[in-house]
Amino acid sequence: MFKKKLTIILLVSFLLSFVSPLTLAAENEKTLVLAYDKGPETMDHIKTGWYSDALVWIFDRLVSRDYNFQYKPGLAKRWDVSADGLIWTFYLRENVKFHNGEPLTARDVKWTFDTILDPKTASPFAGDMDVIKEVVIRDQHTVDIELKYTFPNLLFNLSATAAGIAWHGSYQEYGSDYGSKYVIGTGPYMLKEWRKGDRIILDKNPDYTWGPEWMVNQGPALIDQVILRTIPEENVLIMELETGGVHISKTVPTTFVERLEQNAEVNVIKGEATKLGYLAYACDQEPFTDIRVRQAINHAIDRKPITLFVLRDLAKPAYGYLPPALKDEYLETSAEIGYKYNPERARELLAAAGLENGFETTLSADNSSRSRRLAEVIQAQLLEVGIKTKIQLYDSSGYVAMLKEGKQELFIRQYSWPNADILDWFLLSSQMPYPNHSRWVDLKTDQLINAAATAPNWEERAEGYKKAQQYLIEQAVWCPIYVPENVIAVRKEVKDFKYHPWMFFPSEFDLGK
Amino acid sequence: MLFYLIKRIISKIPILFGMTIIVFLILHLAPGDPVDMIVGPNVTPEVYQNIRTQLGLDKPLIVQYFKFLANIFQGNLGESILQGRPVLEIIKERIPVTFTLGITILIISFGLAIPAGIIAAINRNTWKDYLCMSGALLGMSMPTFWFGLLLLYFFAYKLRLFPISGYGTWKHLVLPALAMGLTDAAITARMVRSSMLEIIRQDYIRTARSKGLARQVIIYQHALKNALIPIITLLGMKIGWVLGGSVFLEVIFSRPGIGRLMINAIFARDYPVVQGAMLVLTTSIILGNMLADLLYAVIDPRIRFD
Repeated sequence: MFKKKLTIILLVSFLLSFVSPLTLAAENEKTLVLAYDKGPETMDHIKTGWYSDALVWIFDRLVSRDYNFQYKPGLAKRWDVSADGLIWTFYLRENVKFHNGEPLTARDVKWTFDTILDPKTASPFAGDMDVIKEVVIRDQHTVDIELKYTFPNLLFNLSATAAGIAWHGSYQEYGSDYGSKYVIGTGPYMLKEWRKGDRIILDKNPDYTWGPEWMVNQGPALIDQVILRTIPEENVLIMELETGGVHISKTVPTTFVERLEQNAEVNVIKGEATKLGYLAYACDQEPFTDIRVRQAINHAIDRKPITLFVLRDLAKPAYGYLPPALKDEYLETSAEIGYKYNPERARELLAAAGLENGFETTLSADNSSRSRRLAEVIQAQLLEVGIKTKIQLYDSSGYVAMLKEGKQELFIRQYSWPNADILDWFLLSSQMPYPNHSRWVDLKTDQLINAAATAPNWEERAEGYKKAQQYLIEQAVWCPIYVPENVIAVRKEVKDFKYHPWMFFPSEFDLGK
Repeated sequence: MLFYLIKRIISKIPILFGMTIIVFLILHLAPGDPVDMIVGPNVTPEVYQNIRTQLGLDKPLIVQYFKFLANIFQGNLGESILQGRPVLEIIKERIPVTFTLGITILIISFGLAIPAGIIAAINRNTWKDYLCMSGALLGMSMPTFWFGLLLLYFFAYKLRLFPISGYGTWKHLVLPALAMGLTDAAITARMVRSSMLEIIRQDYIRTARSKGLARQVIIYQHALKNALIPIITLLGMKIGWVLGGSVFLEVIFSRPGIGRLMINAIFARDYPVVQGAMLVLTTSIILGNMLADLLYAVIDPRIRFD
């Protein structure tokens, strides 16, 4: 009797297992699954500073950035700049529709930027858009953006995820459900469902025909559904990738790269990242006020073993302040004029600064395993020239709090940003005490950076940033250490995957069986 | 009984109140600022200050605390700083994920531990006892996260019998429930065994035996009921903890439960979410304990609601 019951139970469970939602999906529907270690907190791109990739695909922007990082038309089919560089006129594409069927007009562009700039919105993007004096609607498909001063970087800001053009009625129609249950853009994918902490499900926008010209596919996406999953445990993420539960992982922990490279079903794609890892110090505190001490630290760090062993050869040594992926603004001579490993010279410089016996200091880092290992190696290398350090680790919130309070001495940071204006953020004296965490207050730096940022055009801007970098290298404001590579794992089923230095676009891909 | 219940509930209010103060203070004294987590590094000081003002974070701590308290009395746990949505709504989304797993864990844990503990006790120093207790020792020695990864590796990754991560179907429930249920059963089994051993040495059991009662009757009707009393205390406590969500399990199996919500909120300094989740956790522990108290009376008629 018992055995009979057990058999029935097992049989029913077995049959039930075939009716799981995973198997209910239509057979011929193509679904691409992407994995992230963290999910977004909100999908209202106007009100957050941390953007889910979903927002890149739900929204379109006036300007797009192609695979070579060049600015190209997006929702704006073209733009003009007035002779004084203060009025930018954008001509919108016609026949563009939002996901709710409403047509895109100049009103939506004005609403988006006005909402970002409204202090009541408290948009983190407001600072970047502060250069805008007014957005003026010229006609239904033409909009003028009037600037307070010349600012060639406007194109970058308009191509950022935060500048996705939203439907003007979004807040009024959806209230507090906007950004959680509803997100309305014009992009190739539409929000279907967001299971918080688990997954974002996007359906393709079947009406999409306005993809940027540089894209191979400007029409509707070839893949019907994109799922962005949150998988916080890296072992689990890799297991999902290897077994086909996930098609693409945008971040691959360095410890797994070799294993994935040996897997015939997975392609590991490496590309230039717009990131920089560096060692910094509080330049307003003894002994770091002395340029010789700063230079000595730069000479004491041997970047090769760090990139090779700590970063498992997934990084290149860095000598400049911007990553080479920022082709226009990167100072090509950085490696040449930067400080090479020379412990002897470091000791000489320290002696010249009156520190022939070295000195003691703290070395702070965040508590990620990468930073921890990095800190240990840096500690050993600094000891070689007589600088004794005590390592202090912080969680991410605590780290920022410590930097804001100005308690740092030596500290390790890594930034990730696809624009030279990162130098404005970190090194202008107006940014003290934070984000100017190296506490660098210097008139010449301010002049060089401001001149670059407000240059009349892009070319002069790029030249201006190069001059700024050269000066920063001379002053040894930081000790640049490495430029990491982006490592993306893509399963073989994904066809036509294209690497983009900052983003990728699933509407370009297809999925084979 | 109603009076007893009301009295018990009122007596717990200071605990909840004390918890809110402790959590509030610890959170606000820890270094870090939730606005950093909203805005990222690239923000002007004006925007930063504006966001702080909008969120009420510029007000003195005491004002913030009383605002939080006043909101609680209106059934409002506030709004998440990061998500901009009501905390209650956020917690409600996570509760089913945590509760389904929690209850499954309890069923596995107690469903295994009680029979195993009894078998071990009544067959003391025989191979059955050794088998049960070696199993329990093994279970106790394995950290849940490690055992969870092990189960994942063999049953999901190698044999592909279960999904590796996520939630939604019963298949997603099996491995996390086993990971915690089995390790938890180990501890409970040892408690059942020792409790049972203590009872079967008592005089009334000897009397029952000497009366010639059947062994089954002695064990299940006379001994077990009394042996279960400490186990019920344990159950009461476990209900609270299990429903509070296991961070390890939720991270390993990618389940968006209360535990993961709370950890993420702590790292991001999303004060209202941590406070709200702690309130839910504390309440469920208190309710679990009260449930245990009520169950005592059902099992042991000597205990009355006085």
